[in-house]
Amino acid sequence: MVRTQLLVVGGGPAGLCGAIEASKRGVETLIVDEGVELGGQLVKQTHKFFGHEGFYASVRGFEIAKKLKDQLNEHVKIMLQTTVTGIYEDVVVLYDRQNDVTLEVQADYILLATGASERFIQFENNHLPGVYGAGAVQTLMNQFMVLPGKRFLMVGSGNIGLIVSYQLLQAGAEVAAIVEIADKVGGYDVHLRKVKRFGIPILLRHTIKKALGQERVTGAVVVQVDENFQPIEGTEKEFAVDAICIATGLVPSVELAAMANVKIEYVPELGGFVPYRDQNMRTNVEHVFIAGDLAGIEEATTAMIEGRIAGLTIAQLIKEIDLSKEIESLQKELIEFRSGPFSEKVRRGLAKFFPQRVVEYSREPQTDTGPIGKLRPVIECYENIPCNPCQTSCPTGAIEVPKNINSLPRIDYEKCTGCGICVSKCPGLAIFMVQENVEPGFDLVIVPYEMLPLPEKGERVIALDRDGKYVCEAQVIKIVRFPHKTNLVHLKVPAGFAAQVRNFRVKKRESVFVCKCEEVTLEEIEKAIDLGFTDYEELRRYLRVGMGMCGGRTCRASVLSILSRRLGKSPEELLKGHFRPPVMPTKFESILRGESNEN
Amino acid sequence: MRRIFEHPILKRETARTVRFYFEGRELEALEGETVAAALIANGIDVFGETEHARPRGFFCAIGKCSSCLMVVDGEPNVRVCITPVKEGMKVQRQFGRSDVSW
Repeated sequence: MVRTQLLVVGGGPAGLCGAIEASKRGVETLIVDEGVELGGQLVKQTHKFFGHEGFYASVRGFEIAKKLKDQLNEHVKIMLQTTVTGIYEDVVVLYDRQNDVTLEVQADYILLATGASERFIQFENNHLPGVYGAGAVQTLMNQFMVLPGKRFLMVGSGNIGLIVSYQLLQAGAEVAAIVEIADKVGGYDVHLRKVKRFGIPILLRHTIKKALGQERVTGAVVVQVDENFQPIEGTEKEFAVDAICIATGLVPSVELAAMANVKIEYVPELGGFVPYRDQNMRTNVEHVFIAGDLAGIEEATTAMIEGRIAGLTIAQLIKEIDLSKEIESLQKELIEFRSGPFSEKVRRGLAKFFPQRVVEYSREPQTDTGPIGKLRPVIECYENIPCNPCQTSCPTGAIEVPKNINSLPRIDYEKCTGCGICVSKCPGLAIFMVQENVEPGFDLVIVPYEMLPLPEKGERVIALDRDGKYVCEAQVIKIVRFPHKTNLVHLKVPAGFAAQVRNFRVKKRESVFVCKCEEVTLEEIEKAIDLGFTDYEELRRYLRVGMGMCGGRTCRASVLSILSRRLGKSPEELLKGHFRPPVMPTKFESILRGESNEN
Repeated sequence: MRRIFEHPILKRETARTVRFYFEGRELEALEGETVAAALIANGIDVFGETEHARPRGFFCAIGKCSSCLMVVDGEPNVRVCITPVKEGMKVQRQFGRSDVSW
């Protein structure tokens, strides 16, 4: 039998913050976690967090996990790879997998921070290997640096779907499309813009109908839905992908709370069945507290605040000290965080437990783009999300997030010196720098960039707009690297393009071409054959090989020989494809002017 | 399926390699990673079959969905997504509920 004053179940942001606050006040704490390391889902978050500095805004999730672990002190014991298998009235039972033994724990207080699990959805063949929860892909790719596929279909456009899509690009994978059943994107606009700038298509009012494949995923069928979310027949689209990522939401893990006799209520706004709790995160069972996604699906910042409130309240009870000031200020913090439009649902859900207050915030976007010709930031942040690193990082106080953290930022161009710190700090990558006429005939655009490969100084790149579409050619004139990896790439663009250019693509350097007209490489053709395209006409439709100006004279034979080699078939067995007129490109005009028998 | 060697944000920690066996095949893994991560890095994502002979892989990666159960060192129903790989470990696909030896 192990005895502890506080048992924390789950070592994610909520559990860790609870343990930090309690142990800081001398409470003997035991953290039990199933995983191989502490940090919960933080260890796989490579993006910078929103919020404010007090809760690690602009710091990447996996770095926050390290910072939190460092704050634990000698009053904390940690058991990893250990599952709480049951909570009884007098005892909690643990299963320590490393030693293959069960243990009993008696705790004066229990903080449950068990998080959530992925919401699974129904479609044909959803059991196939290659269908992953978005969190699973994130775990593999960001915690263990293993990619479970090359080309993904993302289902769901909430923040997780958008963030994981962006992170797949960073890891070198492709995202064929993001499908969303609703008629608008669920996640933050800044996350949406991050993926749109790379040209990932977003299919609204679409859902996945079927995974293709026998042993594992080889493709996906996507279908459009009507206003009642019913599939519309005949609108099916097929994607050749080797992985399908499900990002359709999370379900609170309430099992242990229920076993501890906590009242479980159905609050769809909070993610489904959630435990009852009050404003101090205390449940109806006196010694049981909850925090984080278990208490309602939100994000890591609110989980951390909830964990701290729970830890402080428990410390107050055990140590009989007055911590009400700290607790109240954290509660105020939560109210402010949840004041924005994105928390509307959460507020409605929480109102079932206690009344919700909203703090006013400013909703006016700044229309002024500043003094033309001066190097200056352009803030493209139009949504009221709780975030303010642009303000706190500005050394001259030129940026203000008025009233409340959910307000839109405003910039005073008089005070701005054009240092660019806000650009590198913005977790939404929503700030750019521009300067017109940086030299005759050219404008300057500074773009935050978190991809590989980084271009070299002097290199010519393809400048893209907000939708990832080609704008013009640009030249990289400078790269400023930052330790937190949001590097700033300075692009010289032809005059007049500064307001359009928001991203770029590095030109591919070495390639082996088969079709030069349409720029189709050997690698792309081999990849397509491996995906199941086995004939010249199919490849022509899929890759546009042979559809260029030369009419296939240069590449048809090559494609056929690649097919023959890859498929192990002799050239005679292959279909040669159609030969269609015109043999040479002919102008419409000359056809119009021409003569025909019908005249 | 592959390992990520270059990443704009993350740095790959150098880890000792360990050898383990998948259905008798000797494979390489990195110390500290889970069995699931090691298998996928080696191109194996079919972890077994259901009772009705449907292929099964992993889904959640954090020990919650139990879709990644495999036979590890003779023991069935091991959640390989939260089990670290160890030198000499013998991993096998699980068919149905697998056999339990008493």
